[in-house]
Amino acid sequence: MAKRFFTRIRGRVSGVFQKRFWVTLSVFFALVGPGIITSNVDNDAGGITTYSLAGSEYGLSLLWILVPVTFALIIIQEMCARMGVVTGKGLSDLIRERFGAKITFYLMIILFLTNLGNTISEFAGVAASLEIFGISKYISVPIAAVFVWWLVIKWNYKSVEKVFLVACLFYLSYIVSGVMGDPDWGEIGTAFVQPDLRFDAAYLTMAIGIIGTTIAPWMQFYLQSSVVDKGVRTADYRYIRMDVIVGSFMVNVVAFFIIMLCAVTLFQNGIQIETAKDAALALEPMAGKYCSLLFAFGLLNASLFAASILPLSTAYTICEAFGWESSLDHKFVEAPQFYGLYSLTVFLGAGIILFPNFPLIWIMYYTQVLNGLLLPVVLVFMLLLVNDRRLMGQYANGWTMNVLSWVTVSALVILSLSMVVSLIQAG
Amino acid sequence: MALQYSDPQVFLFLSQILGKRVLNRRNKKIGKVMDLVVGLVEPYPIVTEVLLSPAGSRENYCVPWSRVLEMDRVLRVDDFSPEECRRPENREGEIFLKDTLLDKQVVDTNGAKVRRVNDLQFLKAHNLLHLVHVDVGFRGLMRRAGLVKPMDVFLQGLMDYTLADQFIAWKYIQPLSSPDLLKLKIAQDRLSQIHPADLADIIEDLDIHQRAAVFQSLDIETAAETLEETDPKIQVSLIKELKPEDASDIIEEMSLNEAADLLADLPKHQAEGILSEMEQDIAEDVKELLALPEEKAGGLMTTAFLSYPPTLTVGEALENIRREAEDMDFAYYVYVIDADEHLLGMMSLRELLVSPPEGKLEDFMDTRIVSVNIEEDEKEIANMFAKYGVMAIPVVDDDERMMGVIIFRNILEIIAPHLGK
Repeated sequence: MAKRFFTRIRGRVSGVFQKRFWVTLSVFFALVGPGIITSNVDNDAGGITTYSLAGSEYGLSLLWILVPVTFALIIIQEMCARMGVVTGKGLSDLIRERFGAKITFYLMIILFLTNLGNTISEFAGVAASLEIFGISKYISVPIAAVFVWWLVIKWNYKSVEKVFLVACLFYLSYIVSGVMGDPDWGEIGTAFVQPDLRFDAAYLTMAIGIIGTTIAPWMQFYLQSSVVDKGVRTADYRYIRMDVIVGSFMVNVVAFFIIMLCAVTLFQNGIQIETAKDAALALEPMAGKYCSLLFAFGLLNASLFAASILPLSTAYTICEAFGWESSLDHKFVEAPQFYGLYSLTVFLGAGIILFPNFPLIWIMYYTQVLNGLLLPVVLVFMLLLVNDRRLMGQYANGWTMNVLSWVTVSALVILSLSMVVSLIQAG
Repeated sequence: MALQYSDPQVFLFLSQILGKRVLNRRNKKIGKVMDLVVGLVEPYPIVTEVLLSPAGSRENYCVPWSRVLEMDRVLRVDDFSPEECRRPENREGEIFLKDTLLDKQVVDTNGAKVRRVNDLQFLKAHNLLHLVHVDVGFRGLMRRAGLVKPMDVFLQGLMDYTLADQFIAWKYIQPLSSPDLLKLKIAQDRLSQIHPADLADIIEDLDIHQRAAVFQSLDIETAAETLEETDPKIQVSLIKELKPEDASDIIEEMSLNEAADLLADLPKHQAEGILSEMEQDIAEDVKELLALPEEKAGGLMTTAFLSYPPTLTVGEALENIRREAEDMDFAYYVYVIDADEHLLGMMSLRELLVSPPEGKLEDFMDTRIVSVNIEEDEKEIANMFAKYGVMAIPVVDDDERMMGVIIFRNILEIIAPHLGK
């Protein structure tokens, strides 16, 4: 009995590995990209700052939150990717067609402002990380802006996507620097199994901050559009789902190493930091020069990466909603709104950083408020759309998926609104 | 602007009508306007029904437009019997405007572009509403957002500028939201007005479902020409949607080398299925081309060209051209070959026309021919086109036997990407 069972299993396994496995793997690598890129952009300058702060202020006690965050990220992104594959349309396109011009118009204005705010913080990240290497922001930021602009305008999207995927690999620098921090793995395991839950306001604000930086409104639009761009057929949908799941895990593995590194070094030595740059600098005496430099390099990579994608996503999303030509394959004169919006976001985002004494904190504050207000609307719209059988047919949410997604979305809506309330009270 | 408030409104927008309160004769509110139904008549569709959302929570229903007494701030309707109403279901020859047009994508067949509908404009005459224009402009978008007045004040005050409306006449509009709308005769007439190269751009701009619907609504010849101009990746996705017999009909109409390139991109079993459905002789020619590498001369050439023996007269050649040119990919040059297919010379159509009909080809042909070997690299071929300024270059094998012709158009696809954006 047992023997027959094992022969059968072996037959299955070797079968899988012989042909189907390689077919599957090659299709996966042809379609890979949207999910992994979108997720990794979540670990942008703002994300890294939040994780560093979480680790240095609360040690390992916030690590557990990465588990529900991964789960929520998969649930939300899977729906977006599914909508992209089945309808062949971007999210802003679907929102416009279903909810009309008025709502879409105001939604796009808010999205533009939050994306602009985030782009500013990415360029601030570029400035901060290169200051560690001794380069002034008046040199680094203009070069970064021109580089980003040139990369996207002069190359076609296929090559840009490959550059982006390479950028995703550079996130490994955080894993390396995390290991260099020489952590106590047993203690970390315990932090996951027996999470140290606390209920003071600051702790909860930090928890919400981690969720907010990982699940942002713009990424649903970006993910869906890039899935559509890939022209994936419904038969190949499972590869996109794999892509999304891999991406969601990757982003949280990186987050884990950042929080962990800051916890075992900064927190244990009681060092207070305010920015990711502080974290990189403070790491040097404790974890070594290379660890500190790797941390700074990771920040630079993440900021540049997100600074390329956010403006691109903004231009795509808005043009799609309003029916303007939106493609990197067109010339400037053929798609003036697209290139205009893209260039405006890049150069405004970079330009504001160069103002002496510009109020970065103030901009970040309002960006977070707008993000928190926008996310619930986008998520609820998404749920309504993904349940529309006229649109999705047999790929609409099933009963289980609906329970999971409504619970996730409700939790996220409550959390983002409570963050907005606490921000306004604090502000 | 003043006109809008004085007497009868001549033009009005769908966005102004949607959401209006609906009152009966006794000024009692019975619901609000959800949508308008038009009958697709030429030249301008006429509103036939109003979709009402009743004041209670009952289901929406349609009321005939003939019951509408007046339309101003509110819509006033005469009493109607329940039999006159119907549930909102799609019927042939009618469309629900908000549902199928507003905020959706349409093709502007005049400008050959995909546009998004911001609003619809009606002409009101004799109590009938005629759909005349589709608004695709920024002004329409601002009207929908409720910001048109602030925008006007702002632009006028700041720059002494008024943003004009951007309308497209209904006769140039092809809706896309349902495949049924593309099957109508009128749709095919409209789409056939667009140049295949523009149709290809339009198809590339659409989503997967609309692409297939538009493509499948084209007649075979237009479909083939459009397919030739489409991005290879999209070509494959369009052909994959078709049954092999339908695909083969279209591919037969394409030029041989384009057909071969397309079949080479398809999965093997699918390409074989299509080849077996194709006419024998075309399938044979395509298979020969399929065997050659795409980036060499052999992969760029077509085998559908005109060739004659040297002893043929000019008159006979011209008569033959008249019969055969239809099926050729290229007919401006004719090639003179011997019994073993060795290339001896060539003549252009113009030279044929000005030569005496009774003269033999060998006496008038140009023997200073530029040809390339079948293994020649595409870059070198592009250089030769630039150097000799010809419309086509013949391809020969190692024994100088003529194998095919590379047309300028086919080399253009290779050099165009290097010309910069």
